[in-house]
Amino acid sequence: QNVVTGKVTTAEDGQSLPGVNITVVNGSSGTTTDIDGNFSLEVPDDASLKFSFIGFTTRTISVSSRSVINVALEEDIAQLGEVVVIGYGTQQRGDVNGSVASIDANVIENIPQPSLDQLMQGRAAGVTVTQNSGQPGAAVSVRVRGITSITGSNEPLYVIDGVPVSGDATNSATSGRTAASSFNGNGQTGVSPLAAINPNDIASLDILKDASATAIYGSRGANGVVIITTKRGQRGETGKITYSNYFAIQEPQKLIDVMDLPAYAKLQNDLAGIYGVQPRVEFINIELLGEGTNWQNEVFKRAFMQNHEVSLSGSKDNVNYFISGGYTDQDGIVIGSNFNRISLRSNVDAKLKEWFKVGISLTASQTDENITLNSNRNGIVSLGLLQAPDVAVRNPDGSFAGPPPNPSAVEGNINPVAQALSRTNTLVRSRVLGNFYAELQLMDGLSFKTEIGGDFGFDENNLFTPTYEWGRFINDNATLYQSNANNTFWIIKNYFTYKKAFSQKNDITLLVGQEAQQSSWEGRSLIGQGFVSNDIQTMNNASTLINADAYKGSQALSSYYARVLYDFDNRYGVTATVRADGSSKFDPLGDTQWGVFPSFSASWKVFNENFMEGVNKDIFSNLRLIAGYGVVGNQGIPNYLYGASLADVRTGLGQGYYVTNIPNPDLKWEESYQTNIGLNFSLFKESLSFNIEVYDKTSKDFLYQLPLPLYLTGPSGGESYLAGVGSPYVNLGELQNRGIDLSINYSLVSENSDFSWSSNLNLSHYKNKVIDLYGDNFDITRTITTGFLSSPLTRTIEGQPIGLYYGYKVKGIFNDETAFEDLPVQFDTPFSEELGGIWLGDIQYEDVNDDGVINEDDRTFIGNPHPDFTFGFSNNFRYKNFDLTIFLQGSYGNDVLNLTRKETSSLSRLYNNQLEESSDYWTEENTDAKYPRPKRGDDNSNLFISDRYVEDGSYLRVQNIKLGYTLNQDLTQRVRINRLKVFASIQNLHTFTNYTGYDPEIGAFNQDALQMGVDIGRYPIPRTFTVGINAEF
Amino acid sequence: CQDEFLNRPPEDGISLDNFYSSEEEITASLNALYGTTWFNFNTKAFWSITELASGNARTFSGDVINFGNFTVTGDNTVLTDGWESLWGVIAQSNALINYLPERVGANVGEEVVNNALGEARFMRATAYFYLVRIWGPVPIVENSLDYVFSPKIPTNRVEDIYEFIERDLQFAIENLYVKNRGGNYADNGHVSSGSAKALKAKVHLYQEEYSEAQRLSQEVINSGEFKLLGVDVPGTSYADLFKTEFNNNEESIVAMQWTAASYGTGNAMQASFAISSTITGTGDGYGVIGPTIDLQEAYEAGDERRKATIMLAGDYYPEIRSSDGGYTVPEDVNAQNTKAGIKKYVVGTPQDNGGAGLAQATANNTYIMRYADVLLIHAEAILAGGASTADEGALQSFNTIRQRAGLGTFPSITFEDILQERRVEFAIEGEYWFDLGRINRQQAIEIISNQERGTYSNDDPPVIYSQTYTPSSEDFTMPYPAVDVALNPLLLEDPVPYEFND
Repeated sequence: QNVVTGKVTTAEDGQSLPGVNITVVNGSSGTTTDIDGNFSLEVPDDASLKFSFIGFTTRTISVSSRSVINVALEEDIAQLGEVVVIGYGTQQRGDVNGSVASIDANVIENIPQPSLDQLMQGRAAGVTVTQNSGQPGAAVSVRVRGITSITGSNEPLYVIDGVPVSGDATNSATSGRTAASSFNGNGQTGVSPLAAINPNDIASLDILKDASATAIYGSRGANGVVIITTKRGQRGETGKITYSNYFAIQEPQKLIDVMDLPAYAKLQNDLAGIYGVQPRVEFINIELLGEGTNWQNEVFKRAFMQNHEVSLSGSKDNVNYFISGGYTDQDGIVIGSNFNRISLRSNVDAKLKEWFKVGISLTASQTDENITLNSNRNGIVSLGLLQAPDVAVRNPDGSFAGPPPNPSAVEGNINPVAQALSRTNTLVRSRVLGNFYAELQLMDGLSFKTEIGGDFGFDENNLFTPTYEWGRFINDNATLYQSNANNTFWIIKNYFTYKKAFSQKNDITLLVGQEAQQSSWEGRSLIGQGFVSNDIQTMNNASTLINADAYKGSQALSSYYARVLYDFDNRYGVTATVRADGSSKFDPLGDTQWGVFPSFSASWKVFNENFMEGVNKDIFSNLRLIAGYGVVGNQGIPNYLYGASLADVRTGLGQGYYVTNIPNPDLKWEESYQTNIGLNFSLFKESLSFNIEVYDKTSKDFLYQLPLPLYLTGPSGGESYLAGVGSPYVNLGELQNRGIDLSINYSLVSENSDFSWSSNLNLSHYKNKVIDLYGDNFDITRTITTGFLSSPLTRTIEGQPIGLYYGYKVKGIFNDETAFEDLPVQFDTPFSEELGGIWLGDIQYEDVNDDGVINEDDRTFIGNPHPDFTFGFSNNFRYKNFDLTIFLQGSYGNDVLNLTRKETSSLSRLYNNQLEESSDYWTEENTDAKYPRPKRGDDNSNLFISDRYVEDGSYLRVQNIKLGYTLNQDLTQRVRINRLKVFASIQNLHTFTNYTGYDPEIGAFNQDALQMGVDIGRYPIPRTFTVGINAEF
Repeated sequence: CQDEFLNRPPEDGISLDNFYSSEEEITASLNALYGTTWFNFNTKAFWSITELASGNARTFSGDVINFGNFTVTGDNTVLTDGWESLWGVIAQSNALINYLPERVGANVGEEVVNNALGEARFMRATAYFYLVRIWGPVPIVENSLDYVFSPKIPTNRVEDIYEFIERDLQFAIENLYVKNRGGNYADNGHVSSGSAKALKAKVHLYQEEYSEAQRLSQEVINSGEFKLLGVDVPGTSYADLFKTEFNNNEESIVAMQWTAASYGTGNAMQASFAISSTITGTGDGYGVIGPTIDLQEAYEAGDERRKATIMLAGDYYPEIRSSDGGYTVPEDVNAQNTKAGIKKYVVGTPQDNGGAGLAQATANNTYIMRYADVLLIHAEAILAGGASTADEGALQSFNTIRQRAGLGTFPSITFEDILQERRVEFAIEGEYWFDLGRINRQQAIEIISNQERGTYSNDDPPVIYSQTYTPSSEDFTMPYPAVDVALNPLLLEDPVPYEFND
């Protein structure tokens, strides 16, 4: 016998590890390490000691007569997130019967993205994240296992330390108003609802994907649930101070080839000839012209970004704490856009009695952003391509320039630099979000927890249009739009948990609870006009108040729930959940207000069966099967749709009231039926592990607003304020998503602790299909408005995926005069050389329905925005003090509708720049041209939305490469730094793609599932170079 | 307690189930049929469709240029705006027609309810009258709820739509209050039984049902309900018709009722018509259209209506910028290279209009019908498709209009005389396009193809850059908006007969 002492530390940074289990192999004695990681144990000389700790690789070391054994434990990548947060409790990763993906905080730290939803991209199977815009702070689209709702929100529910927060940037189920005004309905202004949260505060992200996992969140979990747990002080941890920062430079990933001044001048001269107008005198001598203004260089810039965060954490006398403050400042690569955030967090837990614990998580933050006009033909990005190179940015006197003020320049564009820098849209959001809990241990195994959460937000949005005179663009009247919104949310939860193990083999956890939540909102907006100066932008300086508006509303949800987790002999596991929700969205006088949603799942740890004993564990292990089925409800619709309401409007005859909607008193819960089957196993001493899940998610009676034609409703959508009678919301139809989530982890098992390597590859595939849309009475069309044209863009019908691009099929360009007599007439336009006729050089469309004429009925499906699969591939290497991560991410098989190219190759207007390649247009000399003959005017059949503009949107992106170096402790401790890491990274180094626009990752316009992958001047994502440090004192 | 917690009626609006309990509430729901519902039709669509296509006005402006050269497609948002606005009027009228009777408060009198139903059916008829004249066959919808789950419905035949309009107007004649238009203009805003008779006369005229048109127009004339400004009302003139302070004057039969409260509640035409922001004082005034050379030449010398309709260099308008001593049209006036600008519906600055006015929102009404129309309908109904007439009643009606304009009288009149008179009387009020649409198609094509729609050069004297367009027969109806065709391809199919309920 011999007393062995020693210290257990982390291999990565030499931190002491308290609470490590140390057992004698084949023996009965054991101990755990103390607060400083030290241990002492009496053991036989020939014994082996097993060191195990959650989240770290277990090591077995033979004593070999030594008396001091210091051990460094490796973090176990495969085991990361060993404890999984499942909502109202936690469970061991290996015991979870539903589908839960976890993202460890380590993999998302030090990445220059201000918002945590962006950080999930490519990190978890079954979670498809696209950035809808490169605008700092913009909303992203997060799709957990495909698309659940056609016209409602598809964003998951985020539960931040117990407080539910919707991911819906359009607030469609509450106020119905976006935080930022939308430039008179143009452009994309969706901002991330999660921008208030500092990603550095996050300890773990757990994504609940299937019904058995989300059922406990009931109706709010229909689109999946992302549970975010923030950092807390660790028991046994002495005071720790950390400081992290990074500094980054962002730049556009790519510029597009548009014409320089000589090429542009030649085009203008040629077009003048074709249009039959006088060529411009200034373009007579092309050879005398310089390069002109490069507008892309003017609207894009290198942009700076920085981030700082200080956190203090520790534990003493049964109190642990985590306090942090963070600051992020990101300038956008498109001028006129930026984002900054100040955030504070305080998480405190106290054990007052052996049987009584309390705690609070509180974060307060303010974000301040400038939103630039984007995702529109008149947006800054589009105009950077379209603005003519002969227009200067500024006049000699320093004022902004513009196209000349003569009537023939009417087609010219406004100066995007002037627009971006003078017309401002600012949004300041202040938010306090917190959760308080008290937990009582009532008796052995039985505890009671009560939680009170709140989320209070105050938004202020100012949109100012100054007076200006930029060439022919003149505005004499400055306008200020100002809106304030208050949002208040609270939730109270009370639940009992009973946890008991019977006779070693039976393990049971029971949960019974109740909760109530309420969300209320109100807001006001004012529009003032007539400002003496453009510099003073407050409402008191407006000479007239031209509009005042106000809104107010609230919603409530009351719920009861129960869950059983049962495990038998570490072989069979069962989870059964039932939740009943009562929602204020449904008629209190009817019988649809309450919905009951059950789910059930089971698992079988095959590998723990006796018959698997013969299997060589070094080759194959951990085989486990799971299966689950459940129903989840959804009620994410605006308020009071079961009744009709009246809105006030002023008229020349006095106050008026009009009916705003067609009511539907029978409105009820949407139900989603979800089946999940999964398999996981490990190979080669657990170094390679596989997790495969297949699912079917079918929404029935889904809630959506009937897509009624205008002749039944009058003004609709964004114009419904013009006294339209809104279509009713109904429960209709069936939508199915089927898919596969695959995740493969590899971690190198090496005796040599100098080197480690782990990789994770995840693939997500979903296929969605509309099973039923109430017979063929309905199909859902989204239209896009560019300039003064509004064209159907996507169409959704039975038997097809949702949101397919809809337009004409192009056969080619007419090249044969003699063929005209046999060809179908297009759009009632005669084949003729006359102005307005269709003739050689025009686009020939396909007669899809074969009826001998080509008209609107020949529009068909021309592209699919849904990818065959998306993937993320992360690789982590460590050698001694160096660590390197390489993260690749991409999408395969999705189409993009490139309307930016449509606008920049239209050849339909003078005074507009065009793509270099558009000089390859049809003439009698150039009959083998890429583009048709130029025709003046955008309302031009050559320019109809067609498969000409559909491109393959597949890409592989080198999303992040990061190299870190941790300085030797001996060195840093001299200046009282426990750990100092320096790192440098490149975000979005390169994107491999055939897409011709700026960036193939388009996302969904303002999160709309029916406007996916439509590029109309989308704000591209930057390439970012970052350096920073993490210091720990 | 639980029930209360989950009961969340609107907190910023009124629930329909609690409405229509008093006459005031019913009046408020009627008021809504006269304003914002018409906004998108009035703002651009109305004059783009009618004035640009008819050759009264021209433009370079990309959003509406295609109306002037007969190349507009169903993708055009201005066209869609007009369509959705007219259907909005119908949807709101139908909501009232269908919801009111079963929800009306017990203490509201029957005549109040009947009058309200009459107004709603009048407005529905008015909207259908525009629809059928602009698009031809469209679906007849009496209650949107009937088609909520089967919205793919065919269009109905033009003759059935006219029948439907007549039935609505007959109901309105029988149920609306009888009024007499007096000097208290505020009382004249809502339509009366006489308004319905006047409109019904016009509907019959469009169908060449001359005896009905004559009977009804004669009844309206005999009733004395309406009066002609500048003739029957001392101290007034044709030009006064278009001033804000003359909203709901004695000549007004039915009008869109604007207020300058905010965007969407006011008349936005001035923003497009005024040749500069000097006139509007609100930053707008884009001169989006200019009067064609053809229209300018359509006025006889001495016609007072010209100056009230078209601005020419040197014209003086005391009512515009009145605090600065009035407005004189500058020498370089040149809206859309026509050396002229639009005056009608241009009312000046907020100060000129009692303080009312914002960018894209003035408070002057838009006429749907005024009494001068009744007189010209009367004359035409008597002519009844004949070559000419010297009927005393017809001459009386016709010559009254000419005399008001300061022109001489005619001893006998032909249809061409009436058409010309209608053009200049109602120019920029949308009538001419509809008149061209109802006459012999070949004659209309010929008239249009001879119109000078070109521009003046900057030379002195100016040269005309000539532009003419020859429409095809199909160009007299507009294409259906693509958004609705995508939802319902039946719009492109042949119309079907409508099955009337009663």
